[in-house]
Amino acid sequence: MRITQGTFSFLPDLTDDQIIAQVQYCLDHGWAVNIEYTDDPHPRNTYWEMWGIPMFDVPDAAGVMLALADCRKAHGGTNYIRMSAFDNTYGWESLRLSFITDRPASEPGFALDRQERGGRQIGYTTRAYSAMKPEGERYS
Amino acid sequence: MNMEPTIDPKKRYAAGVMEYAKMGYWDPDYVPKDTDVIALFRITPQDGVDEIEAAAAVAGESSTATWTVVWTDRLTACDLYRAKAYRVDPVPGTPGQFFSWIAYDLDLFEGGSIANLTASIIGNVFGFKALKALRLEDMRIPVAYLKTFQGPATGIVVERERLDKFGRPLLGATTKPKLGLSGRNYGRVVYEALKGGLDFVKDDENINSQPFMHWRDRFLYVMEAVNKAQAATGEVKGHYLNVTAGTMEDMYERAEFAKELGSCIIMIDLVIGYTAIQSMAKWARRNDMILHLHRAGNSTYSRQKNHGMNFRVICKWMRMAGVDHIHAGTVVGKLEGDPLMIAGFYDTLREGHTPQNLEHGLFFDQDWASLNKVMPVASGGIHAGQMHQLIHYLGEDVVLQFGGGTIGHPQGIQAGATANRVALEAMIQARNEGRDYLAEGPDILAAAARWCGPLRAAIDTWKDVSFNYASTDTADFVPTPTAV
Amino acid sequence: MDAIDLKRDFAASGLDAELAQLDRELVGLAPVKQRIREIAALLLVDRARQKLGLSTEPPTLHMSFTGNPGTGKTTVAMRMAGILHKLGYVRRGHLVSVTRDDLVGQYIGHTAPKTKDVLKKAMGGVLFIDEAYYLYRPENERDYGQEAIEILLQVMENQRDDLVVILAGYADRMDTFFSSNPGFRSRIAHHIDFPDYADGELVEIADTILARMGYRLSGPAQIALGDYVARRRTQPHFANARSIRNALDRARLRQAVRLFDRHEGTVSADQLSTIEAEDIRASRVFAAADTATPA
Repeated sequence: MRITQGTFSFLPDLTDDQIIAQVQYCLDHGWAVNIEYTDDPHPRNTYWEMWGIPMFDVPDAAGVMLALADCRKAHGGTNYIRMSAFDNTYGWESLRLSFITDRPASEPGFALDRQERGGRQIGYTTRAYSAMKPEGERYS
Repeated sequence: MNMEPTIDPKKRYAAGVMEYAKMGYWDPDYVPKDTDVIALFRITPQDGVDEIEAAAAVAGESSTATWTVVWTDRLTACDLYRAKAYRVDPVPGTPGQFFSWIAYDLDLFEGGSIANLTASIIGNVFGFKALKALRLEDMRIPVAYLKTFQGPATGIVVERERLDKFGRPLLGATTKPKLGLSGRNYGRVVYEALKGGLDFVKDDENINSQPFMHWRDRFLYVMEAVNKAQAATGEVKGHYLNVTAGTMEDMYERAEFAKELGSCIIMIDLVIGYTAIQSMAKWARRNDMILHLHRAGNSTYSRQKNHGMNFRVICKWMRMAGVDHIHAGTVVGKLEGDPLMIAGFYDTLREGHTPQNLEHGLFFDQDWASLNKVMPVASGGIHAGQMHQLIHYLGEDVVLQFGGGTIGHPQGIQAGATANRVALEAMIQARNEGRDYLAEGPDILAAAARWCGPLRAAIDTWKDVSFNYASTDTADFVPTPTAV
Repeated sequence: MDAIDLKRDFAASGLDAELAQLDRELVGLAPVKQRIREIAALLLVDRARQKLGLSTEPPTLHMSFTGNPGTGKTTVAMRMAGILHKLGYVRRGHLVSVTRDDLVGQYIGHTAPKTKDVLKKAMGGVLFIDEAYYLYRPENERDYGQEAIEILLQVMENQRDDLVVILAGYADRMDTFFSSNPGFRSRIAHHIDFPDYADGELVEIADTILARMGYRLSGPAQIALGDYVARRRTQPHFANARSIRNALDRARLRQAVRLFDRHEGTVSADQLSTIEAEDIRASRVFAAADTATPA
């Protein structure tokens, strides 16, 4: 199962050159790029771990790639890694682009638990199979 | 024609019938206040009716006047309450039609009420006999009045944060056929489309609670589909559950049920009326619900150029009323839409400030006073092969709805959804890489179609489809190209 | 393609503008400007050779700028960034200027993030490390500077397309630094030595600075400044153009006090913009020389 969060998940995994092009697009718009990683890809897990703070005042994508290389060394293969670009323009002040750059070697996906209630209602709980293991052991 | 702007009370209030212009509804020296509501009407006077008298009549009939002089005016600060027509220009290139600017004092309107605003501005006056036709083209809403409205319950930014989807248009589809599917079959379409790659599926405007599918059944099956698709993709998914019903009580009941089931979005139709829309917007804000509005019925009064009202006015009222989504045209699809006019609608919905832009049909500078931004929805006769044009004309903050273009895919609904998503992501990627994606669009799609079979099939199926008719609602100030 | 029109290449590159700006901004410095022209020509030819397939290795572009303070190293580094950008050797052409404190942390684990943070910002441009020898403190074997040096060397070697590093400082100290850090020496392609300004050049610099602020020197003041320069040079902490700039700032203060104290009625525009000899001769530099006490 391939999770399809992020802007480019339906395309083949981006090459480094393709990542650089997207990062440069963000930097050229004045957005600060942040690298984030997680081993719990639940669709509502908003707060992935931050690899450092958003990179303000970095004009060239090579600077961001330096950080991505470090993050990959620490978490590649066992975590999802994504790039998120923050726009501080008045009236927006949120993300403008967010895409996955790295995935764990295998993606087991999610279980959907159903709690049957009265009146034919069902309560739904989505659980990542990976998250049933403790943090740090999920994709190793 | 020169009208006397100053009024002699003795003559003014003598019993009898008097020209509106002489009653004080025409004041060419009037300078609108920052707090005035300004309306721009296109008037077509009856033969022999002077355009200034016609404009004054519109000002009068949409504010304090009646057909004859009444002495009770003199018990009020009537000079303030009278709307003032202060400018009349001939419409360029259209003999017999005039643009007229009319200013209304803020105290003429109840705060936070579209119903009250519209009861004045479009209340009686459209049936006025001295006019052949009348069209409300645009309004300038003062910041002071905007601040009495809630505005969109969620807004584009927060909607994106809730959905965790950034940097690309959202993708949707309307379940087809519009009518006749059972709840169980209906949910099947929803699941397939969401799992295949769409973000949203939508009830159509006339899906409420009919013999073939009652509303609870639809809601239950749809939410099974939404949750199953979320687990299958790891993405947040949604379905606009249409809560339109015969009474407010029924609508609230349906909205509450949607909330209980965990839906992130509900939907209403424009035909429920302005007050009902505002009520639902408040409900949506209270309940963290995105509110989708289908503009059902608007074309009965927005499409003809000489009578009714321009859709951009509906856009303004709906942003004030508080909806999060509104259908606002596709440029390239099957429904009415001149590219420049649509740009004006989209700007009105999405920008914090829209400057006057006559080419786009925007007659006034409009400050939106921090009201949230509305997500426009492009729906009707569009398909993956037009992706470069859609992004070029409509931008990134829009829901692109491919109903037929998803469900009619020769390899099935999932394949149709995948084709749309791949086309979209490939085009956004190319745009961000700095390519001339409008010119290279077909090549970009062809390259993606080499590794994506569903996209290849979609392009083969719909490559020649376009709806190339002349638009009826076009700008008056420049020649406009026809939609591609 | 088997021929390249170097003249047209030069015109198209926009190097002209960069070199002209260098001339405008910096008085004198003939040997430095000559070295810059040589390097620019070399890079232009190198680019032509690459286009024709005569060379494939990207050239090493890291440099060292040696010379006393105030001799124009930072200004030249900015122009160098522009030149490298115009020739396509760096993508953005910005200059990030740092010293040891920006790169080296005070606690264990702080240095690598600090150095990397600087590198991230400098990528695509030129990183200018002033007084680079402070990175290396042999007297303390656990000095964190060594960590910064290792990270820098790695990037200088592996990311030559992404970053050009210029190391700057006093000539003698840089020599010592390079002999104990052969890794740096071997990665530096161009050395430029910045000589001290001659007395006449410093007076010319003063004229330029004043003109930009809308002031001028009176005739006697011109002579006084010449004397000032000759004396100041022999005293401690002499920093070439920077010392002149500071001296002029103080002269403007004295001029203001003089105008304020001595003029009862109105002052003319001419008086307001003229520095007189006494505004300069009141400096402690003259007192120090006369009484042979430190400044």
